[in-house]
Amino acid sequence: MADTRRNARQNHLTLAQQIINISLERAMKTGDHLPEKTFSDVCGVSRTPIRAAFRLLEENNILYHREEEGYFLALSEPEALAQAARALEGMEHSLANRILSDRAERRIGDVQSVSALARKYNASRHSVLFALKILSQDGIATQLPGRAWAFQPMLDSPKSMDESLAFRLILEPQAILAPGFAVDSKKAGILRGQMQDFLSIKEGRITAAGFMRIDTEFHCFIAECSANRFARGTLLAHHRLRRATQKDTSVPDFRLRQSLEEHLGILDSLERNQFDIAADQMVLHLRRSRIRKPEAANRGIPPLIRRPRA
Amino acid sequence: MTISPIIALFPEASFGAALNCVGIAQELRHMGATPVFICHPGFTGVFAEYGFKEYHLQETTPSGANEAEDYWQSFIRNQLSHFDLDPEAQLPTYVGPTWEAIVDTVEAVEEELATLLSRIKPDAILLDNVIMFPAIARAGCPWVRVVSCAETELPDANVPPYLSGLDPRDKAERQRFMKAYLKATDTAHRRYNSFRRLRGLEALPAGSFLESSNHLNLILAPKAVRYDRRVPLIEPRFVFLEGCVRSETRFDPPHFPVVDGPLIYMSFGSLGAIDTNLIERMIDVFETLPARFLINVGGFLEAYQRVPDNVILGSWFPQPSVVAQSALFIHHGGNNSYCEALYHGVPSLVMPYCWDGHDNAQRARATGTGHSIHRSNWTPEELKSTVLSMLQDVEMQERLKAISDAMKTAPGTSRAAAAVMDAVKSNVNVD
Repeated sequence: MADTRRNARQNHLTLAQQIINISLERAMKTGDHLPEKTFSDVCGVSRTPIRAAFRLLEENNILYHREEEGYFLALSEPEALAQAARALEGMEHSLANRILSDRAERRIGDVQSVSALARKYNASRHSVLFALKILSQDGIATQLPGRAWAFQPMLDSPKSMDESLAFRLILEPQAILAPGFAVDSKKAGILRGQMQDFLSIKEGRITAAGFMRIDTEFHCFIAECSANRFARGTLLAHHRLRRATQKDTSVPDFRLRQSLEEHLGILDSLERNQFDIAADQMVLHLRRSRIRKPEAANRGIPPLIRRPRA
Repeated sequence: MTISPIIALFPEASFGAALNCVGIAQELRHMGATPVFICHPGFTGVFAEYGFKEYHLQETTPSGANEAEDYWQSFIRNQLSHFDLDPEAQLPTYVGPTWEAIVDTVEAVEEELATLLSRIKPDAILLDNVIMFPAIARAGCPWVRVVSCAETELPDANVPPYLSGLDPRDKAERQRFMKAYLKATDTAHRRYNSFRRLRGLEALPAGSFLESSNHLNLILAPKAVRYDRRVPLIEPRFVFLEGCVRSETRFDPPHFPVVDGPLIYMSFGSLGAIDTNLIERMIDVFETLPARFLINVGGFLEAYQRVPDNVILGSWFPQPSVVAQSALFIHHGGNNSYCEALYHGVPSLVMPYCWDGHDNAQRARATGTGHSIHRSNWTPEELKSTVLSMLQDVEMQERLKAISDAMKTAPGTSRAAAAVMDAVKSNVNVD
């Protein structure tokens, strides 16, 4: 029961952060109304969790409530809102999240013992084990024979991101082509609406975090629709890893929008049952996403690119 | 001229020039032009991600990814120690060989560049480089020189020699440096002049590899740090730019376990990121400071295993968006970095490696817009006290705020794009 409550709170925190990001992206001002239905549609959830997230934001003085009227934005300066989002992130920091965050920032090494982590975080062995088990569900940590735990590779460097895209190029088109791919029309409609909302955001205001959220939701949707259970499970685990660890703030606004258009094109083909075309569009989409800046460049020297050229 | 003039931008294969040109191209697009990019190998997709059409030059040598990596490994092995030398000592070890390599590039791409230009049929060409490509001079349309290196690239009796890092008042040292510069570049220069003559261009004076354009020259040198020239550079042929800052994705600083302290951004460019030992030494010092640090470590993130709580590393940051939120910018003196710091009113701590980094280090000190220290010869106490004193230097911060306010009233990107459009129009009228 305690776990259920904790998970529900985590979901409300995530949703609250999402609401802040949407307010930022839409350049909302102090006093602007936040309609429950709009946010329920944009976030793709029912009104009940939206209400809970609004309450959480009210508790933190980010929104205020007026009887019979609803919730309104109390802050509007981008910096104040970004700071509020960071404060919520701090609240979200359960031990598992702290370990994950430190791992993503290269503060802890590849292999760790439970006792070393217990010392580092001043926590009990039981708490550390519980946190590691949460991380193992997402494929982030694996128990080795004995008492040590190994962390899996993360998507934190150009090389690992390239490997991730190479892996997805193999599997995602096949997930679409596997016989029995079934489009969840309701979910497709919600995703389409969310992506169109993103495309209507003013140039330069889409955040890397906001894009990552919608991007992983779209690719998880593809995996969930696949009839091949192994492809589905493997891809869902990989996208969870991406969502938890991928740091990529380098994508210019134009490419973010182009990616969203590519997602919409894939959805169009899927809804017309043109799976061959959708798989080809997925290949093109992932290949475009795979183009990276050179890792080093200087006058007089050929730019350095360290990746296989597929 | 077509209804939407085609402007071909040809930046050199470095991020500074490439991203400087992106800023100008974004404005040209807003003004109704069609900017396209001519890319060196390795930069494929960099401009397409900003929505621009690319035309590609083929690889010369080395040919593959592995060969390029070997080349860089060898470059790091041979050159890293040279970056510790003073500007004059770097002339024979780094500057001379680099000019040789630049001339190699010009010779290697000439035929292909001419073919590409005949396909593109541009209404104007923007060359952001340190050397002339004869195919550009002979393309039959106006060409624009973009000086995105320091202003010293354009010589004058009152301006210190290019790459010298000297103060304009150092007259005696000026003569000595110039003599050494001409000696170090002599072989490359002779070879280049032979190539120019072969391709129908006049030879250039000793030490010079690029003439000014008769149409338009855009110089990335904000008023606050400009030199008092003996022979002024007059508009409309010469246009000074108040920064050239591109539009980038919004950046929200990530969560630090340590929540207090000003944000400091450090980037030595992709070249500087190769010295991972130096950056590790700096991180050891940063750990002891009451500030939060974002550090661009380029392609070498995997070299770092123990990162303190007040430091976050990244392979790439949308620099203009990050600098705008920083209290201090530690960089290598690249002109784009320096100008972005000025544009956002952020003090620069310059730790120069090579080339115009030395000139901008001198300029930051002379104009009170920053400080400079040797890139590697410092003690932890020196680095620490320099950073702390800069964070507390209210006078410098106020000076920079005024500079930033002035620069933002006339952004260089729109000034550059407007000047390019004027040059295209006046060329049509002349024709």
